[in-house]
Amino acid sequence: MAAAACGGSDSTTSAATPGASAPAASAVKVGLAYDIGGRGDGSFNDAAAAGLDKAVTELKVEKKELEATQGETDAQKEERLRLLASGGYNPVIAVGFAYSAPLGKVAKEFPDTKFAIVDDPVAAPNITNLLFAEEQGSFLVGAAAAIKSKKGNIGFVGGVDVPLIHKFEAGYEAGAKAVKPDIKIQSKYLTQPPDFGGFGDPAKGKTAAQGMYDAGADIVYQAAGGSGGGVFDAAKAAGALAIGVDSDQAALPAYSGVKDVIMTSMIKKVDVAVFDFLQHFVAGTVKEGPAVYDLKAGGVDYSTTGGQLDDIKSQIDEYKQKIISGEITVPSS
Amino acid sequence: MSVTDLAAGRPVEASPNRRFKLTFPMLLLGVVALIVLLSIARVVTGANDITSGGTVSAALGLAVPIGLAALGGLWSERAGVVNIGLEGMMILGTWFGAWGALQFHNPWAGVVAGAIGGALGGAIHAVATVTFGVDHIISGVAINIVGVGFTQYLSKLVFDGMPGGGAKQSPPVPPMSTLSIPGIGDPLRTLEAKHWFVLSDFAGLLRGLTQNVSAFTILAILLVPLTYYVLWRTAFGLRVRSVGERPVAAESLGVNVYLYKWIAVLFSGGLAGLGGAFLSIVAAGIYRDGQTGGRGYIGLAAMIFGNWRPGGLAGGAALFGYTDALQLRQGGTSVHALLLVVALLLAAVAIYQLVRQGRNKAALITGIGAVVVYVVFAVTDTVPEQFTSFTPYLTTLLVLSLASQRLRPPAADGIPYRRGQTT
Repeated sequence: MAAAACGGSDSTTSAATPGASAPAASAVKVGLAYDIGGRGDGSFNDAAAAGLDKAVTELKVEKKELEATQGETDAQKEERLRLLASGGYNPVIAVGFAYSAPLGKVAKEFPDTKFAIVDDPVAAPNITNLLFAEEQGSFLVGAAAAIKSKKGNIGFVGGVDVPLIHKFEAGYEAGAKAVKPDIKIQSKYLTQPPDFGGFGDPAKGKTAAQGMYDAGADIVYQAAGGSGGGVFDAAKAAGALAIGVDSDQAALPAYSGVKDVIMTSMIKKVDVAVFDFLQHFVAGTVKEGPAVYDLKAGGVDYSTTGGQLDDIKSQIDEYKQKIISGEITVPSS
Repeated sequence: MSVTDLAAGRPVEASPNRRFKLTFPMLLLGVVALIVLLSIARVVTGANDITSGGTVSAALGLAVPIGLAALGGLWSERAGVVNIGLEGMMILGTWFGAWGALQFHNPWAGVVAGAIGGALGGAIHAVATVTFGVDHIISGVAINIVGVGFTQYLSKLVFDGMPGGGAKQSPPVPPMSTLSIPGIGDPLRTLEAKHWFVLSDFAGLLRGLTQNVSAFTILAILLVPLTYYVLWRTAFGLRVRSVGERPVAAESLGVNVYLYKWIAVLFSGGLAGLGGAFLSIVAAGIYRDGQTGGRGYIGLAAMIFGNWRPGGLAGGAALFGYTDALQLRQGGTSVHALLLVVALLLAAVAIYQLVRQGRNKAALITGIGAVVVYVVFAVTDTVPEQFTSFTPYLTTLLVLSLASQRLRPPAADGIPYRRGQTT
């Protein structure tokens, strides 16, 4: 009671411990709003969760997580962000481009709260955009697919036909064509916006990938969130290969049954970005605006779990160096 | 008296050239004609996937959940209860199906659990609509909302701690074994790869239907004739249908209307639950939040499409499944070939209307439609991605609009019934 009087800041924690004027780490309450899929999606929501968990243990922040539901409206997303911001959570992290418009509105209502959004360039004085050069990572797995493909025929399954997923496709295509200019690339988006069901319908992913394998593809890259598991199943049934996305999917328990068909994964280190942002926040050095995590910054990469790329790793790393040095510019659409 | 009454009550439109009865040989002939048509389109466009074994097998897999939901709708609506809650019951089925399979390490336990989960939703609907006389739509919508929320809650409780599971999805479900007719798989595949006119198409169809079919699919297909038999060939079925046509009359003849409605709605939920269980156990091999993607509603549409008859709804589900498989597998090229099929079909309908029915104006409109579709087909090479994904919906809508004049729902469908009412 006496301590609260001299502390001056938030009252719940004991005010005796913090020594300096900077906000005490223990007082930082992080709010995080997931995209469809949420914790346990084996994909980018899980990566965001991993970054947050790391911050909880290493930076001693408090966390509050809220999940999204399939088919919800923008109003529901706004409400979720508002709930976090008005509940005293600062910073608030929104995972996924679907929060673009809702965050744009809510950020104006809470000018004193710091926001971060993954995968979207929406601008405001208090928003940090955690962006990734997905096309660069996709370029590398595209090159790997082209080298490994015996039939000269590969595929791409995108979850929903939106600009973010176009980046994956564009990089993949560029990478494959850099190796083999005449390679055949099949491509399919599971649903069209505003139907975002394509990120959560494994049955559709499976059917689409089966169609590609039947039509001669031997490697399929998926950027389809929760539908991606269906692509792996189809690869296993067809005796072919697939490429994972976002996390190192061959290492995830959810895909332990199909890990031998996952040739590699395009890793997008959302966890690194989220942790970085929180670290900066705690240190008081947050920069607003876009922070791009590309190959150079180690924000995207490819995985080698399973050892299927061991024989061609030097070739892929060569491309990686060329992208980092700027010798190759990867198109993003 | 009833015979003369009926004859008098049904005027000119019953003339023989307007209505025809669909017999088995005619159905067979129709199927053969359709395959020939598809074969023509395949040979002309080179879109070999439209009759491949892979497409047929995928179509089957996509049609089953819709067909099961539609069967569920049929049971309920034949007893006079509109069931818009099919989607919610299906969601319950996906969750309970995956849970049962994981809990007992046996996919068939999941099938049973899925049916029970769906029937649970059916029970809520029956309590609300039959026992308490709540508006059927309101109760159904409530079940759709409850289904989503309840399964999310359960997932957090059960799947969250499991390795590979989470609040939004289950760990991989133990797979169900598949059945094949032995010895014909490879010869059919060889024949299919020759791309011969009609022959290869039949080979593809046969291969899709006889190779690597899950036992659940066979069960689902068998449920269609079984439903027909129970509802149209047994005393029990007659009572169920009488409750949906004239509950007052049924009550006066000693039928316990509430009981029959209850049973029908429970079966309805169970069937929708089976559809959900098929999705999570066979089609996806995993439970995922939101994986039904509105298939319950499409099932409802398939049932209306099928004129509240088992054969018709199976046709509707098959059509939807087939077109969905086409667009998902090869997208633009397959759908482009389908345009030619539609143009030819419309032309055939126009000729039929002109020659057999003498409806000149209708024939002219259909004919113009055929020409327009053909022109679109001729001037394009492929259908853009933005359009392919709604092919199934468009096709269903097209057939519905052509066939809607002949639809007849059960007379007391959707009307709340209170025991002892006199009209």
